[in-house]
Amino acid sequence: MAGILRAPSAFAVTPHKVSTCILIQIYAPPAQISVPFPFSSVTQHNRLGLYLLALTKSCDDIFEPKLAELLNQLREIGGLMDQWLTNHLTNRLSALQSPDDLFNFFSEMRGILGGLDSGVVEDDQIILDPNSNLGLFLRRCILAFNLLSFEGVCHLLTNIGIYCNECFSTCPTYELQHLDDPSNEVEVLSEYENMDLENYISEKITEEIEAGITSKGVSFHLYLPKALSTLVEDIEASTNPKLEHSNKVGEHSLYTPSSSNALRNVDPRGGVFLRSNWQMQGYFMERAEAIEKHGSSFSSSAFELILRQLQKLAPELDRVHFLRYLNSLYHDDYFAALENLHCYFDYSAGTEGFDFLSPTPGTNSFGRYEIALLCLGMMHFHFGHPKQALEVFTEAVRVSQQQSNDSCLAYTLAAICNLLSEIGISSTTGMLGSSYSPMISVGTSLSVQQQLFVLLKGSLKRAESLKLKQLVAANHLAVAKFDLTHVQRPLISFGPKASMKLKTCPINVCKELRSCSRLVSAFSSEGSGLTMEGAFCTAWLKNLQKPIGSLVLSEDHGSGNNANPSQFCTQPSSIHGSLLQLVGSSYLLRATAWEMYGSAPLAQVHALVYATCFADTSSSLDATLVHVKLIQHLAIFKGYKEAFAALKIAEEKFLCISKSRILILKLQLLHERALHRGHLKLAQQVCDQLGVLASSITGVDMDLKTEASLRHARTFLAAKQFSQATAVAHSLFCMCYKFNLQVENASVLLLLAEIHMKSGNAVLGLPYALASLSFCQSFNLDLLKASATLILAELLLSLGTTHRKGALTLIHGVFPMILGHGGLELCARAYIAEAKCHLSDPSFSVSENSEVVLDPLKQASEDLQALEYHELAAEAFYLMAFVFDKLGHLEEREEAAAQFKKHIMVLENPQAVEDPLFNL
Amino acid sequence: MNSKENCRNELRTAVLQLSDRCLYSASKWAAEQLVGIEHDPAKFTPSNTRFQRGSSSIRRRFRTNELTSTPVTGVSYVSTPVMEEDEAVNGDFYLLAKSYFHCREYRRAGHVLREQTGKKSDFLRCYALYLAGEKRKEEEMIELEGPLGKSYAVNRELVSLERELSALHKNGMLDSFGLYLYGLVLKEKGNENLARTVLVNSVNSYPWNWSAWLELQALCSTIDILNSLTLNNHWMKEFFLASAYQELRMHNESLAKYEHLQGIFGFSNYIQAQIAKVQYSLREFEQVEVIFEELLRIDPFRVEDMDVYSNVLYTKECFSALSYLAHRVILTDKYRPETCCIIGNYYSLKGQHEKSVMYFKRALKLNKNYLSAWTLMGHEYVEMKNIPAAVDAYRRAVDISPRDYRAWYGLGQTYEMMAMPFYALHYFRKSVFLQPNDSRLWIAMAQCYEAEQLHMVEEAIKCYGRAANCNDREAIALHKLAKLHKELGRSDEAAFYYKKDLERMEAEDREGPNMVEALMFLAQHYKARNRFEESEVYCTRLLDYTGPERETAKSLLRGMRMDRSGFPSMDVEHLPP
Repeated sequence: MAGILRAPSAFAVTPHKVSTCILIQIYAPPAQISVPFPFSSVTQHNRLGLYLLALTKSCDDIFEPKLAELLNQLREIGGLMDQWLTNHLTNRLSALQSPDDLFNFFSEMRGILGGLDSGVVEDDQIILDPNSNLGLFLRRCILAFNLLSFEGVCHLLTNIGIYCNECFSTCPTYELQHLDDPSNEVEVLSEYENMDLENYISEKITEEIEAGITSKGVSFHLYLPKALSTLVEDIEASTNPKLEHSNKVGEHSLYTPSSSNALRNVDPRGGVFLRSNWQMQGYFMERAEAIEKHGSSFSSSAFELILRQLQKLAPELDRVHFLRYLNSLYHDDYFAALENLHCYFDYSAGTEGFDFLSPTPGTNSFGRYEIALLCLGMMHFHFGHPKQALEVFTEAVRVSQQQSNDSCLAYTLAAICNLLSEIGISSTTGMLGSSYSPMISVGTSLSVQQQLFVLLKGSLKRAESLKLKQLVAANHLAVAKFDLTHVQRPLISFGPKASMKLKTCPINVCKELRSCSRLVSAFSSEGSGLTMEGAFCTAWLKNLQKPIGSLVLSEDHGSGNNANPSQFCTQPSSIHGSLLQLVGSSYLLRATAWEMYGSAPLAQVHALVYATCFADTSSSLDATLVHVKLIQHLAIFKGYKEAFAALKIAEEKFLCISKSRILILKLQLLHERALHRGHLKLAQQVCDQLGVLASSITGVDMDLKTEASLRHARTFLAAKQFSQATAVAHSLFCMCYKFNLQVENASVLLLLAEIHMKSGNAVLGLPYALASLSFCQSFNLDLLKASATLILAELLLSLGTTHRKGALTLIHGVFPMILGHGGLELCARAYIAEAKCHLSDPSFSVSENSEVVLDPLKQASEDLQALEYHELAAEAFYLMAFVFDKLGHLEEREEAAAQFKKHIMVLENPQAVEDPLFNL
Repeated sequence: MNSKENCRNELRTAVLQLSDRCLYSASKWAAEQLVGIEHDPAKFTPSNTRFQRGSSSIRRRFRTNELTSTPVTGVSYVSTPVMEEDEAVNGDFYLLAKSYFHCREYRRAGHVLREQTGKKSDFLRCYALYLAGEKRKEEEMIELEGPLGKSYAVNRELVSLERELSALHKNGMLDSFGLYLYGLVLKEKGNENLARTVLVNSVNSYPWNWSAWLELQALCSTIDILNSLTLNNHWMKEFFLASAYQELRMHNESLAKYEHLQGIFGFSNYIQAQIAKVQYSLREFEQVEVIFEELLRIDPFRVEDMDVYSNVLYTKECFSALSYLAHRVILTDKYRPETCCIIGNYYSLKGQHEKSVMYFKRALKLNKNYLSAWTLMGHEYVEMKNIPAAVDAYRRAVDISPRDYRAWYGLGQTYEMMAMPFYALHYFRKSVFLQPNDSRLWIAMAQCYEAEQLHMVEEAIKCYGRAANCNDREAIALHKLAKLHKELGRSDEAAFYYKKDLERMEAEDREGPNMVEALMFLAQHYKARNRFEESEVYCTRLLDYTGPERETAKSLLRGMRMDRSGFPSMDVEHLPP
């Protein structure tokens, strides 16, 4: 609609298309033999057909191939007859010397097409069905040619000359057809062109064909929902399983546009022709996906170069602006992103591509600027400007309502939900306060969380009624995430309340997650075939480069080109990438959910499922997230050595990709190890580094901020500066309370209990431990609950020996949970606590039940040595020595004592072990 | 008066040399300035200066600075020796080529000179080829896309020309005209830095080629670039600087330069027109109108810059004058972009927006980089409620020149109209950045912030504050500031601004609801602060008005008197009832 001033670029005849026509003629000559002349077998014939099909559909580049490239590919295809094929092609091309030759050529082409009404078809006859892909292509070429004015024909002729010349000048083996120097030719041509240009016919009919094809469902903005889904799944990372070696090394290089493309000089004299509109759209789709998937690893400048070139060559392609926007967005270039976003929507008025819109022609004259708002909001969100994002979203809601654009409204609501759940907002008054939406207006008296809940439900309902399946799935995920971390409360604060148990509901989470995955089956029936077709053709053409015969051999070579087979596996998948991402993120969320609920194996399994099944489609962000989870799992269950080894691999793999997440993980691991080893200065340093990674804006990067101050408090605790530790933990608690981070609250309370215990105020610690316990209970955080119980037991134990029995019962109660799902540290602590309980019992006789205390202590000391947790290890050895002493095993006692001494020594001289990994 | 005579001699030679090289517009410009030099009245009969003499009396009315009539002192210009002509070897071929060139057969002209050597024929050959390429480019543009589409047509001669010219440049075989052409080619190829250097060389060695200066100016997009140029101190530099300042919207500096130049070129229509354009940017419409009337009287068939005049007439809503102007220019030259623009303006004023758009489109067909036509067309589309088309048109203007604050402003307004104030802010920010001293822009931005959907009052106040500081003609800002402060309950600030607003209204003799509102607020405010005397002053002033305020004022007065009677120390009695 916006393009009132611009004619959409139509299907233009180019030299490459002429070559393709010649090849089609070879493929389907008017003669009536089953295997036409140059072909020796049916397969050979079919191969050319396939090749031609791919040629008209592939979308790997913006430019049409040059003649030299075409000839090279023909040599791959042709096998024995390549000489004949290439000669024939070049001869035909160079025979086109005058405009009349072109006229004759195209009328000859018409002969290839079988008539629509020719009833008699003989069995052996090859007829190009006018409605087949190739037939359609040919018809469009003929039509486009017929619509050309004489000037247009002259242009074509000049271009064919350049097209051939370029090739012959690069491959001298071919006999040079004499062609005039292009500059002379221009001179020759110019005399043709002094004529009236007014009646230049617009290629309307071609446009219609084009429109017919594209409207079938090339949904350019399909990744919009994906953008939502990727945002949805960024749930906070904590602890998880073993590393998985997938074959994604060097993947980022695979997706950077080849430098030859980027650097291809657009010499105006050189024959550079853009591909057809359809192919361009395919290319854009593919690029957009690649950008989203690979984030910052996607080479920015090279692609920007291509886009600039494209903008110059085809200024009417507005989508170039959108791609430039995406490119700058994922490279964190705020100003360029803003500029390009505005530019795109100014030109396209938002009417391009959004095929999830209900096409009501009446409203079109106003443009679809609400979509611009939606995108702008998401951009602000991406850059961490929650306030602006919220402003823009409210504007989007209002405009969508005014324009009655329901789907945009649904997306906007989903985006708002996403924003509210991601970003800590203490109150929305003054932001969403007024009555923009009937749903939001209810929420003026509600807390942010309640508003979010209402919005989520409303958004889900809306998406369902509009049948926006991806959005439905994304919404399910968001609801699951909400259920995971929020206790449902009644919305009304007066009147008879239904009795509600104040607990999160894991079943709900599971339900939501399942209904998200159900999406795949819903989609497989629909199929978004058209877009895949182009990608498939591209892949097919790429595989041409590899000789078929040596395929097996080259695979035997091994790792060298393992990128290719994996690519081969992924290409025929009929499910759209964004969909797979969505399903993948449901697995990620499952892993996180299990992590929180405290089932380490299940969490690990889901992370592994994700890493193996969705590695191809996952965005680099998700891929790093899953790696982070697996490495954390390693660190907790196997110790630092293995974790750091895995981290090294991950670092190499995500070399430049979303560095921050890997960096955070590294800092976390370093901090933990420093604490365990007693390198307090280092710990403090790392902790500070972690803190500065977070954005300075309130409410943004909440995870990181809580993480940093939690670690800060822990460092103080380790340094025995209890008052500071308490202060930090207190302010952290206040922040969590303000932003409703209940799950985090549980661990902060636990930390406070621990601080009090270590500072010797066991009585003060008790209420904190109990509060933490109740938090854990209501959020179903089983593992955390176990460790809270352990702390409680330790507190009781330190109150005096009278409580030891209660403590022991508590410990025994949580032992199954701790041993089944807890990490090394937790197990060790449980063992030590148990041993202490026994030892403090005056009625307990060591000599009788020595193994009751020795076994757990041995186990604990092993675990702690793996962790290099000197302080606890020393304690374990001390107890062991004590027990051995009582038993009278002097030799073992000495050994344990020596170990004790060693650990204490290391703890007191932390600088003794220098750290090669700390090289930030 | 020696400098005048010098200029005259230099220009006389330059006109001949430039037209000998077929640099028509530069030669036209030089000739205009030549005639524009003020004559010594003693030497000339009145008939020679008939048109010019009469003009000066009117013009002087607006001349603020009388100093300009005296010739410049203190600046010594370098005198560039007038170039010696080439020897007339192969003069015949050159003559033939020139004739072809005159007949616009550029390729033929180039062909004739293919074997000739010498700087002059080299230049003409290359220049002919360049123009041939340009012509072809224009044709191709239409063949490939249609004139209003964006298109990618290039001058196909550029590559070979660049190759040849750079070789010549390396060997030092380029004279200043050759350098100009080389600079032109480099600029087209996007090699701006080298182009700048080459053009500077060109104008330093031959300063009278105005086209070269213009190209150089187009390459000076910021003041820093302009200042970094090393230019000889020739008087042509003054013209250049004036024009460059104008383009960089340093209007006052530009005006000073032009007025300074008028000392020598007292009758230059060019300078008059430029001054008018600067004044237009400074929104001194009265002066602009007088100057253009004058220009039209002297030069009745002038079309250049007349679109600015039509803009003024449009703003002043002079229907008949605008129609007269349109009629006049269409008879002079129908197919000039300026002409179409003037007619478009006329139809726009008449409210016939479809027709107006048609003429703007025609103007753009003739020159698709015609910035103001894009913007004006955007305005028309806004009137026609065709939002996407309007946005598109504005955006095209912005893409042609990202420094066009009007188009940014138009974009902002369009989005504001669509009830997207937050989105519109981006555009207003852009325009305000480019034109920070324009109160209208600040007010527009403030209104966005103030819009009920956003209601970001603090930001709105800041914007209104800026607007009030930059000479807000419509006096919206002060009133708004007062009102917003009042809304926020900051009565001291509100009183301050109401008072200021009141003063302004008094100075400009304006009455109206704003006045009443201000008086009312001030009366109440001072009463609340127990400053009864001031309050009484305002109350008594309110008594002059009718309406409920009068009654309120009365009751206020009464209340104050009651209060005061409570204070024995005060003398109440002398107050008139």
